[in-house]
Amino acid sequence: MTSQYIALPKGVSEKDFDAAIRDFRKILGDASVLTSAEQLAPYIKTMMPVPDADHTPSAALLATTVEQIQKIVAVCNQYKVPIWMISTGKNLGYGSAAPAERGQVVLDLKRMNRILEVDKDLAFALVEPGVTYQQLYDYIKEHKLGLWLSMPAPSAIAGPVGNTLDRGVGYTPYGEHFLFACGMEVVLANGEVLRTGMGSMPNSNTWQVFKWGYGPYLDGIFTQSNYGIVTKFGFWLMPEPPAFKPFVIQYQHEEDIVEIVETIRPLRISGVIPNAVVIAHALYEAPVKAKRSDYVSGPGSIPDEAVYRIMKDHKLGIWNVYAALYGTQEQIDVNWKIVTQAFGQSGKAKILTEQEAADDPAFAYRAKLMRGEMTLTEFSLYNWRGGGGSMWFAPVSQARGSETLKQMALTKQILAKYGLDYSGEFIVGMRDMHHIVDVLYDKTDPEQTKAAYQCFDELLTEFSARGYGTYRVNTAFMDKVAETYGPVQRKVHKTLKKALDPNGIIAPGKSGIR
Amino acid sequence: MKKTKLENWVSGCIFAIFLTISNAWSAQDEKNSQGFAWKDGAEIYAKICAYCHEAHVGPQIRNRELPSEYIRRVVRNGNRAMPAFRPSEVDDESLIKLADFISKKEAQH
Ligand SMILES: Cc1cc2nc3c(=O)[nH]c(=O)nc-3n(C[C@H](O)[C@H](O)[C@H](O)COP(=O)(O)OP(=O)(O)OC[C@H]3O[C@@H](n4cnc5c(N)ncnc54)[C@H](O)[C@@H]3O)c2cc1C
Repeated sequence: MTSQYIALPKGVSEKDFDAAIRDFRKILGDASVLTSAEQLAPYIKTMMPVPDADHTPSAALLATTVEQIQKIVAVCNQYKVPIWMISTGKNLGYGSAAPAERGQVVLDLKRMNRILEVDKDLAFALVEPGVTYQQLYDYIKEHKLGLWLSMPAPSAIAGPVGNTLDRGVGYTPYGEHFLFACGMEVVLANGEVLRTGMGSMPNSNTWQVFKWGYGPYLDGIFTQSNYGIVTKFGFWLMPEPPAFKPFVIQYQHEEDIVEIVETIRPLRISGVIPNAVVIAHALYEAPVKAKRSDYVSGPGSIPDEAVYRIMKDHKLGIWNVYAALYGTQEQIDVNWKIVTQAFGQSGKAKILTEQEAADDPAFAYRAKLMRGEMTLTEFSLYNWRGGGGSMWFAPVSQARGSETLKQMALTKQILAKYGLDYSGEFIVGMRDMHHIVDVLYDKTDPEQTKAAYQCFDELLTEFSARGYGTYRVNTAFMDKVAETYGPVQRKVHKTLKKALDPNGIIAPGKSGIR
Repeated sequence: MKKTKLENWVSGCIFAIFLTISNAWSAQDEKNSQGFAWKDGAEIYAKICAYCHEAHVGPQIRNRELPSEYIRRVVRNGNRAMPAFRPSEVDDESLIKLADFISKKEAQH
């Protein structure tokens, strides 16, 4: 007998699933319970080098209220049906909107999209999961609130809730997003609704201004996790500064990364440069300006000689350091002097500001990201190889020049073994760097897809062997990364899971937790 | 009718009091009870598609008389690196308007 569903959850009979779907329809109405192949198509497409079948959902539920979600988890508990939550569902390169495991039901919260509050004086927002950065940006503009967003590069189509819950990053001084989160509302697996921090107290008006509340701080356990479904999310916004000065500093040699990092670290730690600086390799920037096929053809990774030609033709450094100063003009003038002195010392740096680089498309989009303006220009990365394959390799590094050089060399060497290019950048945190490499491959080419999978696997193995951990990973490799953090952490994660979700209905497999 | 300065000031105060009261979180759920809805195809195009398709990232798609049915299929399924968009992001009705907006010649709007 053929099933009427395109997939079923692991261990759930079709009869039980039917009953669950009937109940979901009662809760949400027929139109908000999607089960046909056509309806589920947008939940299946991923950029990962694994068969779509591995991540095909059995259904998608479009919930709009907390009460509906409470009822949904009750049904899930009854029939042991697992759900996979998405907020804006644009986790591109990390698994997109598809579930971790075949047959999971996607709980799509995109339609739960009210902006509940934006406080101009205290500079915070409280939003529902489906709010996009574009929606919030428009709201702030319309109400003339004078506040800036910090967002990831897919800005307009992604959102603060999903991004922060996956511990994503942006490019303003508020770029380490979870640092600026303040207060969540979470539907637990037993249907109870928890408001974290000060939100637990009835009538408190400090939920979005004081993060810690009383007792153990809980917000962290709901990020990169499967312990609850976040339905409201508070976070801080940056007051629009009176002046803003973006700049780029270019270097010509790969080894110069040592000098770059050693120069930036003290400026970043002391707050002279306040934002999440990006040190982008030429191959990360090239797709905005150049075509790969104009420089190389045939298999294999791009040779250094071609990279140097691209740099010359398109006015790129091998490293391009994007940063900005924020504040009053006087503050900026003082800090600019410090920055130019620091970078000017060795004579290797070429410093460009808006005056020289405003028309440069790479500079223009980076400047937008550093001031919280919408842009999707970074999607140019996908024109480099074509074919829509991408995985973010995201190891964490110390902000120490010798370390970044080691990580870059190792990554390049492993990518080259599989014929892939180093499209990498370092995002400078407070004391760390997120080393972000887009492992780009042609997903329409089976050989390259296989190579990309093996390459990514080897990157994880080799990096973890040297003590380099990954901050976030796509859904095909979550178990592998969880393993690299050792058995004790895994056991604690599992213990919490058992306590909070004994039937394992919430996103089993997220971060390797079941 | 022109308001006096005093009237303006008074109504400003009332507005301020309203804001203060509604800051208590018990009232938060009542505020902005309306979710987001797209106005028309042009808005969706400007706030999603144009960021790539008018920025040399994706191909030009307007004024090419691409069949509406084809556009809808690409939006729902994605195309190579182009992400798929779900009905929760762009509902079916809005997608029809968007496809019309893209496929028709500019002069026809
Ligand atoms: C070109 C390009 C550039 C990118 N640049 C960046 C970047 O600069 N920084 C960055 O961080 N990322 C980046 N990304 C990756 C990704 O697209 C963004 O992180 C994006 O914000 C994630 O999608 P989302 O916001 O729609 O979150 P979602 O897809 O909605 O959620 C992400 C994950 O969070 C969890 N989650 C979501 N909602 C809930 C909930 N309500 N309760 C509990 N858990 C939940 C789920 O595990 C889900 O898979 C980039 C991607 C591309 C293609």
